[in-house]
Amino acid sequence: MAPEFSEFHDELRSVAGDLLAKDRAVDWSSLVDAGWVGLEVPEQFGGAGATFAEVAVVCEEMGRAASANSYLGSAVLAVGALNTLQPNQTRDQLLTDVASGATRIAVVFESEFVPDAKGADRVLVVTNDGVDVGTATVTPQPVLDETRHLASVRDVEVTERLQFREGATVRGLLDRAAAAVACDSLGLCEAMLSATVGYAKVRQQFGRPIGSFQAVKHACADMAVSIAVSRQLVGAAVQAIAEDRADAHSSAAMAKSYACGTAVDVVGKAMQLHGGIGYTWESGIHVYLKRAALNRSLFGSPAAHRKELANRYL
Amino acid sequence: MYENSPESRTQAQFRQQVRAWCEQHIPPDWRQSQTGVDDDEFVRFQKSWFAELHSAGYAVPHWPREWGGGLSVPEQIVLYQELAAHDAPRLVLAFVGIHHAAATLLAAGTDEQRRRHLPAILDGEIWVQGFSEPEAGSDLASLRTSARRAGDSYVVNGQKLWASGGKHADWCLLLARTDPDAPKRKGISYFLLDMTTPGVEVRPIRNAIGDSHFCEVFLNDVEIPAANLVGAENAGWQVAQATLGAERGLTMLELAERLGNAGFRWLVQSAPVDDPVVADRLAQFETEITGLRGLCRKVVEDSENGTVGPADASIVKLFYSELLQRLTDFGAEIGGMAAHTRLAKPMSSGWESGSWLLDFIGSWEWTIPGGSSEIQRTIIGERGLGLPREPSAV
Repeated sequence: MAPEFSEFHDELRSVAGDLLAKDRAVDWSSLVDAGWVGLEVPEQFGGAGATFAEVAVVCEEMGRAASANSYLGSAVLAVGALNTLQPNQTRDQLLTDVASGATRIAVVFESEFVPDAKGADRVLVVTNDGVDVGTATVTPQPVLDETRHLASVRDVEVTERLQFREGATVRGLLDRAAAAVACDSLGLCEAMLSATVGYAKVRQQFGRPIGSFQAVKHACADMAVSIAVSRQLVGAAVQAIAEDRADAHSSAAMAKSYACGTAVDVVGKAMQLHGGIGYTWESGIHVYLKRAALNRSLFGSPAAHRKELANRYL
Repeated sequence: MYENSPESRTQAQFRQQVRAWCEQHIPPDWRQSQTGVDDDEFVRFQKSWFAELHSAGYAVPHWPREWGGGLSVPEQIVLYQELAAHDAPRLVLAFVGIHHAAATLLAAGTDEQRRRHLPAILDGEIWVQGFSEPEAGSDLASLRTSARRAGDSYVVNGQKLWASGGKHADWCLLLARTDPDAPKRKGISYFLLDMTTPGVEVRPIRNAIGDSHFCEVFLNDVEIPAANLVGAENAGWQVAQATLGAERGLTMLELAERLGNAGFRWLVQSAPVDDPVVADRLAQFETEITGLRGLCRKVVEDSENGTVGPADASIVKLFYSELLQRLTDFGAEIGGMAAHTRLAKPMSSGWESGSWLLDFIGSWEWTIPGGSSEIQRTIIGERGLGLPREPSAV
C-alpha cells in the first residue's frame, strides 16, 4: 500500500474507532455525517470516491466495537450494488440519495435473512443480470446476535429493472459481502484479544497475574497467531476486490472461511480466559461470541467457501 | 491456482529472467537421482548446486553487493518464489554459512574475519552452529562449554549437541562461557572454530527418520586463536540474539513458498479430491498456506523497513511448524498403506518432499528445535502481547 493511503487508513481507523466506541447503537445519520456511507459513492454524486479498501477499514472497526447499525446492508452492500449497475437516472439518483442520507436501501440476495431491511426505504433485489428496484413487505427475523438486524423480504413491488455494467456479476457482489463480514470478524477478534490480554495482566490468582501462567499466555499467543493469519488473508481479499482482480473470488473465499471460522475460536478463548466473569451477561463477551457466530454463517459458511476453493482442484 | 499480486515492471522482468534460468538449470530428474543416495553423493550434489546458483548470482542474494549479493528485497522474494515454483533443490549444507555465519560476520565480525570467510563461503566452505548443549536446550543461556583465555588463544572444553551438518562442516559458530561468575547471559562469548583443530570430535546422532545429520561435537582442550572471537568477550549472547533473527524472514519465506508450490501440488495430485471431506481439508490447507506466505512477505518487507514487530518471527515460525506437521500428517493419512512403503525421501528436498510419512515424522524437527513451539508461544505472549513473565525466569 502506498504511504499516503496507509496514513489515510490510519486516520480513518482512529476516527471510526473513537466514534463507534461511544455507543453500541449508532444512528444512521451519524454514519452519513461521518462520510462513511458515501465512501464508495463517486464524487459527482456527493460521495468520497474512495474504494472498498477504505470501506474495509470501517467494517473492521464496526467489528471491533460490535457496533449495531445498518452499515453492512445499507452502505457496504447497497453502494456496492449500485456501483455495479450501468449508469442511468435512477441509479445516479439513488447513489446521490444514499450518500446524502435521504434514502436508505437494503440489498436482497436471498429473501429470508436480508441485512438491515427493516426501515429501509427501498430494496434492491439482485438478479442474474442486475437488480430490481422496489419496495417490499419486511418482517424482522430475530437472531441471537442482537447487534445485527436481519429480516425476511416478501411481496416486492418492482418499480424498475437495472442492468449490471459489463463484467459485473452477482458473484462479485457476494465476494464483497463475504470480505466485508471477514473484516468485521477480524476487528472483533482484535478487540477480544486486547480485552483478554488486558484482563490477564491485572487479574491475580495464586498470588500472580494469570497472564504469567503458560496455559493462559499460550492461549493468548494462539489467538494472536490466528489473528495475524486472518489479517493477511483479509488484507489480500480486500485488495483483490478493490483492484477488481481475477483472484478476488478465491481470496474472498479464503478470507471469509478462515477469518470467520477462527473468530469463533478466538472469542471462545476470550470467554474462557476471562473465567466466570466472561460468562456473565454484563461482561459483554457473549455479544462478540454471538456476532462472531453470526458472521461465520452470513454469506456462506466456511465449508461452503472451501468447497468453492476445492472446485479448482478438480 | 497460484495467483500473485500485480508487480512492478522490473520485478516482472526479473521474474522472467529467473524463470528462464530455472528451466535451463534445474536438473529435471534430481528427485529420482537423489533418492536413497549416500552421504558423499549428497555433499557432491549440494556443492555443485550451490556453485550453479552462485554463478547466476542467486546463491546469496541477501548479502551486500560488495560481497557478492545485492538483490533488492522484492527481487529476493521473486527469486525464492520462482525457485519454489520450479521445484529447485534446497541449499541444505550451505544454509548455516550463507545465513547465520554471514549475518554474524556482517553484523559483528572484523574486516579480517569477513575477508577470510565470506569469499570462502562462496567457494563452498560449510558451517555448523554450535549453540545447544545437553543441559542447554530451550534454556540456551545456561550453556556450560567453557573458553579460558591463555595468551593469544582460548582453550575450549565442553560438548555441543544438535549441530546440524556437523560431520561435513569446515567451521563452527561456537558459543562458550568465558566468565563463569557473571549472570548467565553476560558471561558468554562468540567464536569461529576451525573444525580441523585438534581436540574437536564429531559424532553423528541418528534421528527419528533415520538420518544422521545432527551431530554431537566434543571439545577437548581445543585452542581457538583470540582473533576468532566475534564481538567483545562476554558479549556473545547479544551477538547471537542479533544474528539469529536476522536471517529468519527470508528463509521462512523460502520454506513457505516451497510449501505453497511443490508441497501443496503433490498433496492435491495424490489426494482423492472428489471426496468432499478431503476437498475441505485441502482448501483449508491452501488457505492457511496462503496466509503464511502473506505473513512471510510482510515480515521480510517490515524487516527491511525496520517496522517488524518483536514477536513476528515467532508467529511465523510457530505457524509454519504446526501447519507443516498437520499437512504432512494429512498427506500420510490420505496416502493409506502405500504411504508406508516410501522408505526414503529425496535428499536436498524440502520438508514437504511428498514422502509424507517421513515428512510427518520429520516435522518434529520444526516444532522442537530453533525455539520449540512452547518457547515461541511464550515469546509471542511476553514480547508480542506484553504479558507478565514467568516468575522464576531470569
